Amino acid sequence: MKKKWIVLLLTMAMVLGALAGCTGGGSSDGEKNGDGAKVENDTGSESVNNASTGVQKMTVWCWDPTFNINAMNVAAEIYKKDHPEFELEVTEISAGDIVQKLATSTSAGNTADVLPDVILFDDSLVAQEVVSYPEVFMDLTDAGIDFSEFSEGKVACSVVDGKNYGIPFDSGAAIAAYRTDVLKDAGYTIDDFTDITWSEWIEKAKVVKEKTGKALINGQSSYNQVTVMLKSCGGSYFDEDGNIDIAGNKKIKRVCELYLEMLEAGVYQEEVGWDTYIGNINNGNVAGAMNGCWIMSSIQAASDQSGLWAITNVPSVDGVDDATNYSSQGGSTWTITNECKNVDLVIDFFNSTFAGSKELYDTILSTCAISTWIPAGESEAYTEEVEFYGNQSVYATIVDYTAKIPVSVINAYDASARQAVCTAITNVAFSGADLDEELVAAEETVSFEMEQ
Amino acid sequence: MKLTMRKKENLVGWAFLAPAVVLIVIMNFVPIIQAMIMSFQSGRTGNMTFTGLTNFTRIIRDSRCIDALKITLEYVVVTVPLILALAVIMAVLLNDPKLKLKGIYRTCIFVPAAVSMVASAVIFRSLFAADGFVNSVLMNLGILENGYNFLGHPSSARIILMMVRVWKMLGYQMIFYLAALQSIDSTIYEAAKIDGATGLQQFFQITLPMLKPTMVFTIVMSVNAAIQVYDESVNLTNGGPGNATMPIAHYIYGLAFNGVPNFGYACALSMVILIVVGAMAMIQMKVGDRRE
Amino acid sequence: MNKTKYWVGRGIKNVILTIFSLFCVFPLFWVLIAATNTSVDIVSGVLLPGKNMVENFRTLAEHYDVFGASWNTVKYSVVCTIASIIVCSIAGYGFEIYHDKVKDRLFGLLMLTMMIPFVATMLPLYQSYAKLGLLNTTLGFILPSVSTVFLIMLFRQNSRTFPKDIIEAARIDGESELGIFFKMYVPTMKATYAAGATITFMNAWNNYMWARLIMSDNRAQTLPMMISNMITGHYIDYGMLMMAVLISTLPTLVVFFALQKSFVQGMTGAVKG
Repeated sequence: MKKKWIVLLLTMAMVLGALAGCTGGGSSDGEKNGDGAKVENDTGSESVNNASTGVQKMTVWCWDPTFNINAMNVAAEIYKKDHPEFELEVTEISAGDIVQKLATSTSAGNTADVLPDVILFDDSLVAQEVVSYPEVFMDLTDAGIDFSEFSEGKVACSVVDGKNYGIPFDSGAAIAAYRTDVLKDAGYTIDDFTDITWSEWIEKAKVVKEKTGKALINGQSSYNQVTVMLKSCGGSYFDEDGNIDIAGNKKIKRVCELYLEMLEAGVYQEEVGWDTYIGNINNGNVAGAMNGCWIMSSIQAASDQSGLWAITNVPSVDGVDDATNYSSQGGSTWTITNECKNVDLVIDFFNSTFAGSKELYDTILSTCAISTWIPAGESEAYTEEVEFYGNQSVYATIVDYTAKIPVSVINAYDASARQAVCTAITNVAFSGADLDEELVAAEETVSFEMEQ
Repeated sequence: MKLTMRKKENLVGWAFLAPAVVLIVIMNFVPIIQAMIMSFQSGRTGNMTFTGLTNFTRIIRDSRCIDALKITLEYVVVTVPLILALAVIMAVLLNDPKLKLKGIYRTCIFVPAAVSMVASAVIFRSLFAADGFVNSVLMNLGILENGYNFLGHPSSARIILMMVRVWKMLGYQMIFYLAALQSIDSTIYEAAKIDGATGLQQFFQITLPMLKPTMVFTIVMSVNAAIQVYDESVNLTNGGPGNATMPIAHYIYGLAFNGVPNFGYACALSMVILIVVGAMAMIQMKVGDRRE
Repeated sequence: MNKTKYWVGRGIKNVILTIFSLFCVFPLFWVLIAATNTSVDIVSGVLLPGKNMVENFRTLAEHYDVFGASWNTVKYSVVCTIASIIVCSIAGYGFEIYHDKVKDRLFGLLMLTMMIPFVATMLPLYQSYAKLGLLNTTLGFILPSVSTVFLIMLFRQNSRTFPKDIIEAARIDGESELGIFFKMYVPTMKATYAAGATITFMNAWNNYMWARLIMSDNRAQTLPMMISNMITGHYIDYGMLMMAVLISTLPTLVVFFALQKSFVQGMTGAVKG
């Protein structure tokens, strides 16, 4: 009888052993992967003893190796010159994953283990995330950063309830970039597309389409395009008091009408994903691109098209008040989390780099990260003529555009509202629904989401 | 003595099951109960309060949720029977001992099952892009004048979403039927042949009834999987254009993790799905319990 | 007359199978071609192998930690597969060989877990993981998928073909229960193990949603996560992207080819019922 019990015990031991085997494997790489956390603990107690030294490491989340990760690395090199012990750790993480990780870590209460010191956000997301997770983000209003040196509209993106939560990074000033060779085939020059209205643009784009068979621009669904158009006339989905304003909003309706018109005419090509959006620009299937100026770094990747591109301002929305030829889309902002281990270090880092180094902005200019820190725009590098754009001095042009962007109201539910309006557009375009009814439905969807 | 032997064997049996059962309970039942509790709560994650049935009454008013349910239903109703029929046909065709190249066909049809959903989405997206391979073929054949944006139109996007599933699951399910067919005694067919039954008669009167248990099992499995479809829509179209390809699991995911998260409501919705699939569970338990 | 009919039937059969084989294989063939071409060629629809394969791989290795991601994916999948087939085969064997009413009921109850949408359990699971320090670990990755009802069922059904008199005989010879399992059951069930291992490996290798949630550290990243990161960059090199897709697909294909014979055989037992 005893023997049977031994068998039983053995079985359990076997299985536990098997599990322990994986536990061993797991914890060993847990140590490896978690050494960041370990260092924090050790130095955490150290900093109590010696507050002035603290951790010399800064952890950052951002997403693009050729763009913002590159910028961060360049900044770290600059900072290291005076602070040799400084260490930077960048985690490449997609913008969508950042939002998800914030949701999970705040709900699990392990923000201290998960979140880095610094997180980069798309300008359109900063307000949303700060409102959703107020405990996560550090109020930088009196942190020692001179926000007056940044362009005003840009700083506004990261202001919630009068408090600053972000350090602006690249400009999202909207540009229209066209293939001059294609325009020439259609009998146009870049000047024909400068300072025009959308109605004029559509007429000209139809000619381009007819003569060359190409859509003039494309876009990932309607999201970015609608933003560019709406912001150019200072439009917003909400009024200043935070009330939803879609159904009776003349600007939104006009933007939708224009958008549907260009979709109908085939001069705007909707793309499903970011990959095909960029792909079609790079291989010349569309004759241009319209987006935040950061899109230029993608355009320039097709080095065989050097000299064939030129940039100009965006068309203005005719038929509404406050229409301008300037707008913004995207651009990004650095935020500092409350899990930051050494706030003084991080603030000093930013004051020496993104909020204080012309050298940094000059270096990263080649990746088309256009500064929103005003002093950088005065640098000589910004007057450079760029061969890729037929020797146009594009950087100076964009700095000029940046200053002219109209200010629009920002709300935490902007992303939801934009999604709802774009859905309305889709329904009208593909299912023949009525625009007015769809916009009412969109407003209902958003207010439904807001009541929770 | 005999009784104690029984007892002991029984205990050993339990010991054999224990690790697997404990893991399933911890990894599935515990979290689902937690989620159930959260479905009665509202507020920001990490700081939630009980609000009774608010989340459930909200569902009825949620037009996006109803759209998502419709899309999911359509997806299930189309893909499940289609994959079933194709898998059975392929399996029957392949179950011919005289067929040459059998191994090659089988491998070819199964291969997509090995591709991850993320990779499949990348592949199909580039194949069906406005300037992708499919369009250039159609244009070269003169069927289309200009590239058609398959994934940009709601109905074609939904069809491609279904196509990816058929592509990925056909071979996988075929293997089940192939295995089932191989266990059918060949003498039954020989007897039928002697009785003068045609090929079609054999198929409907012998093959199909013999495949019934496998069918029930795979149908239940694939209905479950189709109701929970998420990976495909996220990676292929991200729910677009508009919300035209956003099935319910994708919508729930968005509620929980994107925008301004509303986890209580997301939990309430997943409870509803759980109840809906619960009906399927009844059938499945019957199948699982079947013991001749 | 009959002969023509036979050959026509044969012909139709082969045509149908060929069409479906092409439908299934073509997208993968296309990946293979694309991985050897330049971005520009891929988009213009070239269908012949190019010369850019090495270059694509170099670009990939330069921009992404493809070796690290591959190693992680291999590590997670192998550990998961081994743990999973051990735990589930013992359980499947236990459910069948020692079955009684209670155990059958329990099994029916476990079947319910196949209905639970993962989205629903994801957040509570994550919360527990955070408390237990399982984030970014191999153990954390595998735990939810070690014990699956599907695999237990596979072994349970297959155990029916395992002759019970052998067990009785062995017991009379004084063999322990565990001894019977390891010395007799495991060697005769090779095909089932092959089938179970193939399915588990593929699922673990391709797991995306869970990995994306718990692997916050770049060094713990998997191949599917890497690919999904790649399509959000400012510049997309299709050649590089397709190379990554190819790399992420090859290992599962190899596993399938290696185990394919036993795979079908192993499934046979499962569906016999």
